[in-house]
Amino acid sequence: MEQKKNNQVTKSLLWLLLLIIAVIIPWILGSNQYSVLLVTTVLLYGVMATLWNIIGGLAGQLDLGSFAYLGLGAFTSGTLLIRYNFTPWMGMILGGLVAAGFALLIGIPLFRFRIREVWYALTTCALVEILKVVFTMWEKVGGPVERYLPHYGSLYHMRFSSYIPYYYLMLGLLLIALGVNYRINKTRLGYYLKALGEDEIAAEVLGIDTRSCKLKALVCYSFLIGVTGGIYANMYGYIHPSFFDGQESIKVAILGIVGGRGITYGPLLAALLLVGIQEFLRASIGGDVSGLYLVIYSVILIVVVLFRPKGIATIFQDVYQRVFSRRGVEKKNVQ
Amino acid sequence: METIFQSVFSGVLMGCIYALIALGLSLIFGVMNVVNFAHGDFVMLSMYFTFWAGSLWGIDAVLTPLVTFPLLFLFGVIIYYGLISRTLREHYTIQIAITVGLMTFLRAITQLVWQARPRALTYSFIQGNIQVGGYVIALSRLVSAIISLIIIGSISYFLNRTWPGREIRATSDDLDAASLMGINYQKTYAIAFGLGSSLTAIAGGLLMTFQQVDPTMGLRFGLLSWCILALAGLGSLPGLLISGLIVGVSESLAMTFWDPRARLLVIYLIFVLVLWVRPRGIFGRK
Repeated sequence: MEQKKNNQVTKSLLWLLLLIIAVIIPWILGSNQYSVLLVTTVLLYGVMATLWNIIGGLAGQLDLGSFAYLGLGAFTSGTLLIRYNFTPWMGMILGGLVAAGFALLIGIPLFRFRIREVWYALTTCALVEILKVVFTMWEKVGGPVERYLPHYGSLYHMRFSSYIPYYYLMLGLLLIALGVNYRINKTRLGYYLKALGEDEIAAEVLGIDTRSCKLKALVCYSFLIGVTGGIYANMYGYIHPSFFDGQESIKVAILGIVGGRGITYGPLLAALLLVGIQEFLRASIGGDVSGLYLVIYSVILIVVVLFRPKGIATIFQDVYQRVFSRRGVEKKNVQ
Repeated sequence: METIFQSVFSGVLMGCIYALIALGLSLIFGVMNVVNFAHGDFVMLSMYFTFWAGSLWGIDAVLTPLVTFPLLFLFGVIIYYGLISRTLREHYTIQIAITVGLMTFLRAITQLVWQARPRALTYSFIQGNIQVGGYVIALSRLVSAIISLIIIGSISYFLNRTWPGREIRATSDDLDAASLMGINYQKTYAIAFGLGSSLTAIAGGLLMTFQQVDPTMGLRFGLLSWCILALAGLGSLPGLLISGLIVGVSESLAMTFWDPRARLLVIYLIFVLVLWVRPRGIFGRK
């Protein structure tokens, strides 16, 4: 009992340490805006992969549509700002609602017709590409030219002259995403999702309404990604149909898979490591030899998947157990 | 009326090549149930090989498959033994992760070697148009479609009449029974994967006679062939061909009568609708 308590204390301390590091990073990089942008990008993928864990890791639905919801959120919040001078602080919530509404519209028939596994994945992937074409052709809102957000340097319009505030916004979102994950894990819905993620038919036989469970997970995920989209648009300062990026959506899902499906902090870990490596390589050698950083990144990805199919998080679990449990055992022996 | 006919006909010609690409994917997915996200990038890779052969050694695009076909077969077999066979027993998401890694790798390599700008070959000996009853038909497309049909026919012969083909069909139907009959499933899977990849070599060579290639076109071809596969269902070659034609024709009609940008929109909408209405595909066996 006491050992369990000790364990919890060490875990909380580790999280606190990580949080402190995360908070002071921009002060260290402060002078170099580019590095802050890179770190914020890594955090963005961390947020998206952590949110993906709700639908992909827990519920086992391989969703490849994250950038569809991100783009919808970005376009809602951005268009409201450009057209009606509407503050993005509210706009991003509306963006989340639009994304969640769209997800419902797509999710109800998808789950109704029992589209699963690969076909669910491919449908959501096609969805991103469909939205890209729709927004390119819809000249009133999108169109082939970037639309820049006005009001540079104003708090009301969420347009800052430095990337540091966006970094903290992303960090806040990450905490929310982790909290939501943690919370769902503890509730009845979380257990239902885990059950249907393991074996959908068995879960159905046990009386779980799988369809409504999956819909709840999908709405939760798409709403928060839509909110992220609002910040994304403001960070880059423009909206463009290229936000609907099928390739990047696949990347988010891959981070979730490689991190360890169903482990709350796994996707975050994968994002920090893989996207971190990728952005670092892009910044250091991307200018000299185009494409080389992607070669290295993909080789790392393949090696990780081959040798740790259960996820990067399991490496850390092993290390953690080795370091902390053995000490716990030794203490016991001494006593 | 004339425009409709012209558009439908060019769609039919394109559809034959699409069916050829989807046939490769169908072999891989249908036989070993492996979700290959890199299939479109195999097409892209073979288009670059064709470009290389054409610009460096002056080999005509129609003839390069003679070289690239065995090359991609070998490539597919190596990929199978190196990556796919190690993940056969894992969750299907792991296979997707592996093939997505492969996809990123191929795209990065092509970017590294050939840079990101679009590439095209200047000429092929089947250039020019022919006139049939007042309609103009690009000769390169006609020849490409005919070659695709011949290849699809010979694959059908291979699967139905030869021993390796029969082994592939047997493992696809029932892996355990086939293994008990003494079929080495690893070898059969390797052949199926190699053959599936090498079919893209032919498609890539044919596409290069009238198209350009850039590193981002892989995902498009990948989704396109999944769409044809969803439409056709598994295990029916004529169904696959008809689905390819449906996709080709609707793409061509959308480009002529709506908007050139809408071509992908129409294909993906068909894809989503088919999955909703008939998840097993229109001509599906399994």
